[in-house]
Parts: sequence; C-alpha cells; structure tokens
Amino acid sequence: MTFLARHRIVLPVVSLAVLLAATFYMQPRAMSYFGLNLLFNLAVPIALATIAQMMIIMVNDIDLSLGAFVSLTACVTATFLQDAPLIGALIMLSLILSYAALGALIHAFDLPAIVVTLGMSFVWGGLALFILPSPGGSSPEWLRALMTVKPPFAPMAVVAAIIIALVTHLLIMRSGIGTVLRGVGGNARSVGRAGWSLIRLKALAYGLAGLFGVLAGMTLVGLTTAADANIAMRYTLLSIAGVILGGGEFIGGKVSPTGAVIGALTLTLAASFLSFMRLSSDWQIGAQGAILILVLTARLIFRQGGRT
Amino acid sequence: MNISRMLLGAAGIAMTAGLAHADAHSGDTSEMRIALSNNYAGNSWRQAMLQTWKESTAQAVADGVVAAADAYTTSENQATEQAAQIQNMILQGYDAIVLNAASPTALNGAVKEACDAGVIVVSFDGIVTEPCAYRIAVDFAQMGREQVEYLATRLADGGNLLEIRGLAGVFVDDEISKGIHEGVDNNDQFEIVGSVHGDWAQDVAQKAVAGILPSLPEVVGVVTQGGDGYGTAQAFEAAGRDTPLIVLGNRQDELQWWAEQRDANGYETLSLSIAPGVASLAFWVAQQVLAGEEVPQDLTVPFLKITQADLDEALASTPEGSVANVSYFLEDAQQVIADAE
Amino acid sequence: MTAQESAPLVTLTDAARHFGPVRALDGVSLSVFPGDCIGLVGHNGAGKSTLVNLVNGGLPPSSGEVRFDLGETALDAGVRSVFQELSLCPNLTVAENLRISHMELKGFGWRRTARAEIAETLDMVFPDHGITSDAEVDTLSIAQRQMVEIAIGFAPRGQSARLVILDEPTSSLDAGIADQLLQHIKRFCLGGGSVIFISHMLGEIFDVANRIIVLKDGKIVAEKPTADFTRQGLVDAMGHVATETAEAERTGTFGAEVVRTDQGLAARQGEVVGLSGLAGHGQAAALAKLYLSQSSSWRAGRSPQVAFVAGDRQSDGILPLWSILRNMTVSILPKDARFGLVDRQAEQKVAEDWKTRIGIRTDDITNPLLSLSGGNQQKVLFARALASPAPIVIMDDPMRGVDVGTKQDVYAMIRTEAAAGRTFLWYSTETEEVCQCDRVFVFRNGEISAELTGAEITEEKILEASFEMQEAS
Repeated sequence: MTFLARHRIVLPVVSLAVLLAATFYMQPRAMSYFGLNLLFNLAVPIALATIAQMMIIMVNDIDLSLGAFVSLTACVTATFLQDAPLIGALIMLSLILSYAALGALIHAFDLPAIVVTLGMSFVWGGLALFILPSPGGSSPEWLRALMTVKPPFAPMAVVAAIIIALVTHLLIMRSGIGTVLRGVGGNARSVGRAGWSLIRLKALAYGLAGLFGVLAGMTLVGLTTAADANIAMRYTLLSIAGVILGGGEFIGGKVSPTGAVIGALTLTLAASFLSFMRLSSDWQIGAQGAILILVLTARLIFRQGGRT
Repeated sequence: MNISRMLLGAAGIAMTAGLAHADAHSGDTSEMRIALSNNYAGNSWRQAMLQTWKESTAQAVADGVVAAADAYTTSENQATEQAAQIQNMILQGYDAIVLNAASPTALNGAVKEACDAGVIVVSFDGIVTEPCAYRIAVDFAQMGREQVEYLATRLADGGNLLEIRGLAGVFVDDEISKGIHEGVDNNDQFEIVGSVHGDWAQDVAQKAVAGILPSLPEVVGVVTQGGDGYGTAQAFEAAGRDTPLIVLGNRQDELQWWAEQRDANGYETLSLSIAPGVASLAFWVAQQVLAGEEVPQDLTVPFLKITQADLDEALASTPEGSVANVSYFLEDAQQVIADAE
Repeated sequence: MTAQESAPLVTLTDAARHFGPVRALDGVSLSVFPGDCIGLVGHNGAGKSTLVNLVNGGLPPSSGEVRFDLGETALDAGVRSVFQELSLCPNLTVAENLRISHMELKGFGWRRTARAEIAETLDMVFPDHGITSDAEVDTLSIAQRQMVEIAIGFAPRGQSARLVILDEPTSSLDAGIADQLLQHIKRFCLGGGSVIFISHMLGEIFDVANRIIVLKDGKIVAEKPTADFTRQGLVDAMGHVATETAEAERTGTFGAEVVRTDQGLAARQGEVVGLSGLAGHGQAAALAKLYLSQSSSWRAGRSPQVAFVAGDRQSDGILPLWSILRNMTVSILPKDARFGLVDRQAEQKVAEDWKTRIGIRTDDITNPLLSLSGGNQQKVLFARALASPAPIVIMDDPMRGVDVGTKQDVYAMIRTEAAAGRTFLWYSTETEEVCQCDRVFVFRNGEISAELTGAEITEEKILEASFEMQEAS
C-alpha cells in the first residue's frame, strides 16, 4: 500500500542521481566540495521558492506571482533590511501577512487563484521597481556570511538543501497542522465539515508560501550580493516545474517537500548540464523542456505500471 | 581596420603605430582558455557581437594566442540564470570570463566566486559593479551629450527637439537620456518638446513618433538612442512634415536611408553607436590581463562615429539588417588600456 | 433498547430549510435520545440529506430550532456524520484522515496515537478488515474507504461519539461487511450511543432500527417503533407502489453471442447479464477492460459499439458544470451532427424524449445538472447511455444511492431495451438486482467462480459462489 507513496519520491531521486552522474562524467571538476557548491548554491533560493509554490499547490491553487514576489523580497533585502533592519523586518512581516490575506480573500470570494496571483505579480513587480528603480543595493553582512559559510564535510548548498527538505518535511508531512493543510487539497469539504475554518487554513497555507518566498529572496541576495527588480522572474515557472518534477500534483494535495527540493536541484542541474554539453542557447530551453517531459513521462509510466 | 583607425582619431593612430611593434603578449597565454558569458542574443547588435567574437577569437586561437575562446548565451535573459552560467564556467576551468551582464549588480555574487577562484572577469557593454571585475564601460551619457553638441554645430539658431528613448526602465536608456538633457541644458537654444519610447526598434519608434507628431510644433532635430532613426524618419515622411535633422545609430537601414537622402537632397547628419565588435576588445583586454599586463579596472569603449565622409564605406561593409561594426585588435586594446592610465 | 428516560441529545423543533423556493425540509420535529437507533427512510429528494445536515450542524435551519444537550455545536455534542458520498481526503493516510476530524491530536507522537486509535476502531467495527492505518486512502477500494469513514465516525476522537449519523453506509459494502457494521451499530446503541441510519436496504433498517421515521416531500409522514411497521407498510408510507417481487418474465430467446472475453464473460444479443460477488472482486475491472477493448480512444464515432453507465458518478459520470441536457446528449452528439456542428433541435428533442421516458424530475432540462438529486443525476447517466445507438450497454453498479421507485423504473426500461435487442452487462452490489438478470457471472478474487442461468439465479447460489473460497481458506 505504501508502494505508491514510496514511489513518489523514488523517481525524483533517481532523476537527480542520473543527471548528477552525467554531470560528473562531463565535468569531473564538479565532483568536489567547491564544485558541488558552485553547481548548487543558486538552487537554494529556487528550492525555497519551490517550497513556497508547493504550499499553494498543496491547497489546489497556483501562484503566478511568485517570481515577482521573490524579486520584491530580494529588493527589500538589499535595501531596507540592509539599511534599516527593523523596518526591513517589518516590511517582510507585512508581505507575509498580505500573502495570508490574499489566501483568505481567494477563499472567501471563491476567486480563481491563477487570476488573482497573475494580477498580484504586477503589484509585486511595481513595488519592487519602486523600492529599487535601478539595480543595486547590497546584501546584509550576516546574510552574505551565511550564504558563503563553509561547513565541514558538505558544502553550504548541500547542507541548506537538506535542512530545507528536513524542516518542510516535518512541517508538512509530519505535523498535525501540515496534515490538515494537505487535507484541504485532498478534500476541502470534509476538512470544513470536521470543524476547521477553511479560510484560516487557506490563509495559513498562503502565509507559509509568503514566508518561504521571503526566505528565497533573502538567500538570493545573500548569493548575488545585490538585487534587481527583475532578479527572480523566472522563479514562477521554475518553482511550478520543481514541484511537479518532485512528484507533486496540481490538484489533490499530493505534494512532497523533499521531492520539491530535489526537483529544484534537478532543474538547476539540468541547466548546468546542458551548458556543459555546449548546447547552443537556441536549443537549451527546448532541451530543458524535453528533460522535464522525459521525467514526467517516466513518472506516468511508473504510476500506471504500479496500478495494474 | 580602416574604421577602427578612423574612430580612434589621429592621436590614436600615432600611438597604435608605435605600439604595433611591441611584444604582442608579454606572458604566454597559449594554454589559457577564455569564455564569453552573454545574456541575450535576440537582436542584430548581439548577433553581430557574437559573430565578431567568433571571427576574432578563431583567429586568435589559430595564431596560438589562447587555447580556446568559447561563447555561451543564456537561454533566458535572466540574471539568476547567468549567475549559474558563470559558476559553471568556473567549474569548467576557464582562466578568464568575458561578460556581457544581464544586471549590473545581480551577478556580483557569482563574479566574486570567480575572482576568488582565480578567474579573471572582464565585463563590457552590460558591466558589473563587483570591484574585482574589469569593466569596459560605455559612457552612454557622453553619447547623449555628443548628439546635442553635434546638433549645436549644425543648427546655430536652435529650435525644438524630439527625443526618442529606449526601453523604459533600462539603465542604458536612463543614461543616454540623462546625457541628452545635460547637453540641452548646456545649449539653451534647444528645447525638447516631446519624448517617446522607441524601444530601440524601428517599428516601435515609427508608431510612437506617428502618435506624437500631430501634437508637436515644428521640430528641427531628433535625438535618438540607435535602432530608432529610420522609423522616426518614416513617421515624419508619412505625416508629410519636413524631415528634421535626425541623429542616427549606425543601423544598416538608417545608413541606407541616409545615403538615399544624401543623394537626393544632400541630407547631412551624424551616426554614432557602440560597435558590437567591442566584444573582441574585451577579449583582448582579458588576454592582456592573463598575460600579466597591468590593466586598470575601469576602461572606456570608444564610440563608432560615422560622418558624411565615411558613409559609403560604412554602408558597404554593413550587412543588411545589421549594424555598422568593427573588429578590435590587440593594439586597440593596448590603446584603450593606455588611455585609461 | 428503548429510549431512556434521560434528556434528548438533539432536539429539532419545527425545523425547516429552504433553498430558494424549494422547501427541502418543511417543518420537522424530532428528538434523538441516548440509545436510540433511528431508521430514516424516504425516496430520493425526500429531504433526508437536508435533515442530516441540520442535525450535524452542516446547515443552519431557515426557521425552527435545532438544540443540543451539550454545548452549542453538533461537534461539541458528540454528533458525527458519515456521508453518502465519500468524504475522506484521498491524498492522506488512514491515520492522517483521523487527524482531520480529531483536532485535539497534537504534539510529538500524534501519529502513533492516531494510528492506534483508528486501528482499534477498525478492529472493533470491522474485524479482519485488512486495512493498514498508514495506507493512503486513494490506494484503498471504495468499500475500504467507506469502512475507514465509518470507523472515523465511531472513533473516540478525544470525546466519545454520542450520535453517529450514517447516510447509506452500506451502499458500497458487500453483505458480510455490511453485517459487521449492523452488528456494531446494535452494540453501540446498547451501550447508550445513538444512531441515525439511512438506507435503501429496508432489510437493514428492520434489522437495526428501534424506531423508523419516514420522510416524504420534506415532512415526516410516519414515525413508529420498528415493530409496528411491515415491509410493505413502510414502502407504502414512502409513497411507492413498489412490487417487491418484480420478477420480470424472462423471454429466454437471445440472438448471437456478442461478447466473449478471455475471462469467460459472455453475453448474447438481447440478454441482461449480471455480474455479482463480493464488492471489489474484479467485476468493475472486468467491465472497464471490456469497455476499453470495445471502444477506440481515437474514433469515438457515430456508431459506438458500447455505452457505459458509471456507478461512481462523481468521478466517472457527470459533467458537473454542464446542464442536464448537455449531460444527456454528450454521447450522441456525433450521431446527429451535421458537418461537425451540433444539431441543436435534434439534441433538444432527444433530451426531452428521454426526460419523460426515464422520468427525470426537473422543470427545465437546461438547468444545471447539480440541481438534481443524486438519484436523478444517475437517471441522466442512464439516459446518456440508452440514447446512444450502442448495442451493448455496460453498467458498473449504476443503482448506488438510487431510491426504490427509480430502480423499478430503470428495471422496466432495461427489460424493454433488452427485448428490443440490446445487450446489458450489469454489475451490482445488490443481489436483489442481479437476480433479475438472464445470466449471472459470480466473481471471486478477480475470476469468474460461477455462471448461473435461469432458475439457478438465486440469492443462495450467488452467495455460495461468492464465499466458497473464503470458507476454504
């Protein structure tokens, strides 16, 4: 019975392992402490954004504003959080709260999340331009130090990925409230009947997404040392792809935080792999898409095989 | 080569001649590899840039100056993607990275990683602010100022100007526009009566200008950002108004139109822009750094100016749909380095 | 067994509920006492579900009053509901589903507590259930899901269950498991718990209920101790002239064999073939396989060979956003299409025709499908299949949650169509229905264990063939 459940995580792990092996073969230099960090450090903010997206997908919605939101939080990090940490923290808090409010709003008026978040992406984008009209700002020292820390045994990127996966796994898969949140995606009506306030649960899911969006923006600035109003625009689609690649599904509350982190790593690695292959940029987007389709097809075949 | 000399001016020629006999590379770089990290390839300028890179570096590799000079372009014009690309280049063991950056700041983390790994980073056109990198910057504001200065020499009485801007929110647009406004402040016989965004594209510029023309008084000159001059001219013609003095931006269609106008009615103007060949300049600068030369962190790219006298030659050497170009050579790089010192 | 002297758990005083102009429940007064086991019957649309929703706090009454003895809400009073449509979260495990209904489960190790609690309850209600509490619900069969749902209803959840409302709990269960449930209900009521039991299986009602309430058109039309009802009397009270032994004459003359599968499943033209056996023993899979082999995914053409009536109408049958009309005619659009365009008039005509033939209770067939009650939705699915020219109709437990009256209508219709030369393959969990067939295949563990024809088709024979193996093992 747990066959399928175990299955869901096996495929993302295998995809990552295969891709990693191929990358090591192509570029043996990557097989080192330093190499792994270079390969994966930019995956850390993507992994956090993917987790944020997963929170939304978990309750059967989708967030098209995530890239703009992470850009905004990156801009706030590079400006306010650096110059006036208290105000910066307050802004971040209010951003998280506005995400939660958005979730409540979407539920209360039964709005399509896809439309609301698409609209919000312009709001976040506008705010980001307002805060940081031209690229710049700088990373708070402690954040830069955190993102360039050199832990023993494994590089920062790997340690961070493991920590993110572990924490979110505990939060979403193991904790009681995480279970109820997944239940909202599985069968919202039955959760509501059991006496839960759906509007609060939705707000909580969106609030968590906001929190991880903020973390994504902060880590991104920690890596790049500066921001730009468009810095994370591609995170919207990357995060959706990451969730799906990690074994999540668009509806039904079937998500896997560990899978999502692995999905984010896989996507990052896929781009590097194609670059190592010297594939012309004209073909790269197509090839990235092909990798995605390949993995999803494999998943479908495995799933159907598991069923009969 | 002719154009190259021409734009460097008489003083430059003298210096170049002197340097040409100098040792081409004091340190041996024949085992070293240089990569080009490019963020965008979707317009004629970038295509020409990549083409020049390919030609110049192929020659350099054949001559044994460097072992390899590979070009990479990110599939999406995104800073995070380019940061990953730079990190990959560090892994691939390149000795130097020549960089046309998607963002002046968002790549700083990756550039720092490269510097820390001992990789030389030379940024050009789209430069980065990370102090450890070399910058071959375009003085865009100067480009704006020069346009107005030129107009001042031609139109002593002054008059109304129309400003065509680039893509809103982009640094280059802000800079050129700033320069233009400074120029107008210094030459108070001119007044900017209208400003539209042409997005550096002829069709956009034509539409935008056609839209604003009916509301404008007589316009004597148009200041542009390149890629928008031909569209502007078309809009004036369609509106049945006299063609003002339009400063052009080296695009082939602009030069073609200029030549036609010149033959028909003696039209005279100036065209200036950055040659896509600046990539080859950056290549040679990187090679010089690798060779152990003392190179200042901040260098300035010369403009490629085309005057009435050079028009036919420039037009002949510019393929259709492209932009007037020039390849830079080692001597040019040494000249630019010397100028900066 | 009788109502005790103590105060009622729930009291409804002249409670009514209106949906727009529709009076779903029209002034009902009812008290549920500890130890009560109330059988609630009525045909589809009589207001049973609305009554249940008032009692469990799902809907506030439009007028009148609903009062609980403990606390303000149904939840505080220990009122639990097990709904007709499956309302578990399919993406969660059995234990996690318990967590949804059990808010007090918190802190480290809640999982262990939840696992133990659900396993204990499952063991208590359905001995030998074979369900692991770590299984994800969507890996379970419908019957198993229903069992889990019932178990969650009875589970302690911090404060023991005092009133459990069971809405058609046995519709997906086979006879053996249904019996386990009935036994548990009896034990539960003896122990002072209360149950409201809704079922179309009158036998079950007579078995467990100490009091029967008959609803008709939103009103209570009869409320008496079970002993005072006869089967016929109950059916009459519901307002149906259902002849209990609607033993249709079997013609016995069939055409050529039109279906034969590797498994041995066969059908001749004009025959009504039943598939029986315990729920989840491969009947549905056999039908699905047959259907998929007979139809093409590419050429859904003008003359399909087979039509399918889904039993799980939520997931396989209805198009919830479409109108009744569209739902009915979606199978026949290519037939009447001209140059690929839908012939609206022909579509309308067919739909009106079937509306009257099958008795769909609506004023306007352009209303949304969800305006219909469950039974009427199922009728629409029948109409969809029967309207198509397909010579073979496959039905996967199509009578789930359909009231007696509708069933009789559909039986008659199937007979007429069969006489006209159509072939029916009919899987049903209700033995009574299977007994109406010309030939019955009994499934066990995914294989055909018996083929019965004519006079052989009896409840005893079918049960025998269903259970044999289990006795042996």
